[in-house]
Amino acid sequence: MFRHTTFRYLVLAILGAGALFQAFSAGYFGLEVLIEILILAILVLALDMVAGFGGMVSLCHGALMGLGAYAYAMLSSIVGLPPLAALVGAMAIVGALAWIIGAICARSHGIYFIMATLAFGQMAYSYIFQTPIFGGDDGMGGITRPDLSAIGIDLNDSRSFALFCLAGLVLAYLAAVAVLRSGLGRSLCGIHHSEERMRALGLTVWRVKADIFGLSGLITGFAGALAAMHVMYISPGLLDWTVSGEALVVVILGGLGTLVGPLVGAVAFVILKHELSAVTPYWHLVVGVVLIVVVLSRANGIFGWLEARIGARRIFPTHAAVKKVPNDA
Amino acid sequence: MNADVGFWILQSLNALQLSMLLFLLSIGLTVIFGLMHFVNLAHGSLYAVGAYVAAAIATGWGYWAGFFLAPVAVAATGIVLYLGLIRKMRRSGPMAQVLVTFGLIFVLLDLTRILWGDLPLAIETPALLQGRINILGIDYPAYRLFVIVLGLAIFAALAFILGRTQVGAMIRAGVDNDAMAACLGINVERLFFTVFCIGCALAGLAGAVAAPLLSVAPDMGLQILIPTLIVIVIGGLGSLKGAIAGSLIYGIVQTFGAVIAPQMASVLIYALLAAVLVIRPMGLFPTKG
Repeated sequence: MFRHTTFRYLVLAILGAGALFQAFSAGYFGLEVLIEILILAILVLALDMVAGFGGMVSLCHGALMGLGAYAYAMLSSIVGLPPLAALVGAMAIVGALAWIIGAICARSHGIYFIMATLAFGQMAYSYIFQTPIFGGDDGMGGITRPDLSAIGIDLNDSRSFALFCLAGLVLAYLAAVAVLRSGLGRSLCGIHHSEERMRALGLTVWRVKADIFGLSGLITGFAGALAAMHVMYISPGLLDWTVSGEALVVVILGGLGTLVGPLVGAVAFVILKHELSAVTPYWHLVVGVVLIVVVLSRANGIFGWLEARIGARRIFPTHAAVKKVPNDA
Repeated sequence: MNADVGFWILQSLNALQLSMLLFLLSIGLTVIFGLMHFVNLAHGSLYAVGAYVAAAIATGWGYWAGFFLAPVAVAATGIVLYLGLIRKMRRSGPMAQVLVTFGLIFVLLDLTRILWGDLPLAIETPALLQGRINILGIDYPAYRLFVIVLGLAIFAALAFILGRTQVGAMIRAGVDNDAMAACLGINVERLFFTVFCIGCALAGLAGAVAAPLLSVAPDMGLQILIPTLIVIVIGGLGSLKGAIAGSLIYGIVQTFGAVIAPQMASVLIYALLAAVLVIRPMGLFPTKG
């Protein structure tokens, strides 16, 4: 189950302060990087909910995010809904699709679950790629951002949009914490520990898994809609399975099942990517090596490692500060 | 009507050729999984390495040198990976394995880009197999026919080795229950290692075979990975029967789907995969209950 510790509050405060500082001080490029981090952070938050707390290692979250982007674009430019209604609609669509995927995949475990989610992600990719109404390979342009001029905010300004995304991330984080602390979230952790026991206790296991997957999809759809607003152009490449793989990499880099860790991972990943791609075109090579080293080190990512070190030294009170993540998912 | 029949024969041969290429890749992956419970996402990258090695050797010493040396080179790469990385990952969960081999995909992809550049390489079909052969009343490229025959020959050889020889019995015992097989005096570790090398060699062979058909590009490993995974999940992880059945299903659905309903072709195969996972979560021919 998810608990806040002093250390987690501290890291959240540092991240929040850093984001605010960056939002008010950075130039155009710095703001673009910040927005990229914030949107990725929402995605990996959603992924950590299912993968870290439920053991459902999903390789379709990238595709779900892409669907969110397409749903937002379709609802706002083709159907003609106002952007905020389109945002809610996109979240609902992705949430519903994620619920269905979760319900179908609930019976599979381990590698079969990974493959099944991969299959659904690729299905979405092919469908978007081949259906003319979505613009196929060319993608879609002309996506608008919500108009908040009524309350004096112009989202077409990078700084305002960055703050909008930051507010979105805070909401998504609070929602994820609320879900994981609810009865549903506790049931999910029970299932992660022992599915048989929870079934014996009379729980409908597949419903819990599907519900969490759906809620995670809701947040993922939100990230997708923000991504569409950010770039104002979308293409099927958003749904590629390597996007899902990279999201998983970010979760692992930060710390699986800690909710705070993936946020740290998102910051580290985007900064690493920008710094490396400025130096070498082969930045994937470095990311690959870092990933292999992190997994082989058996530490639970950057944040998990720090938390374990600090837990061992008892600098902060540690009631269950170091949540051990079973590795036999 | 005659032309119509010819068309369908042509499509069937195309389907068979695609199936055989996928079979060469999936058999290695599926037996490695069945024996070692190891998920190697980098299998597709090994295939790309095979194609590059074959293309590099072919420009100097001709196609056949590449054809025979590529599997050796890829098996050597596999040995390095096994000793350096994969042996340590054997007891980890599927998630750690997926991630490490995902990292390996990045590494191998960029290594091939550094060694051979970003531009696709083209490689000539060997002189012996140029031209067309008349079969069942239609002209079919000799090289594609060669791919079909090679795939069937390897299937027959593997079926014989796995089903009729002592080594095959040991492998089957290892897939069934490795702890029990070890108790019976089988050196399971060495068996794993041998099977892993052969699986890698077959991936390299697939790369060498595919090189003249497709252009040799850095992302070819990523592109073939998903079809290969679909094949082994439909067929059931760990079995020869599953690998051949899955390959044929994929080849047929993909080829005829593209002819009959081009709009739906690629969605069709994923829908089929989802259906298989729902109805038979362990695939069509699972090795274990």
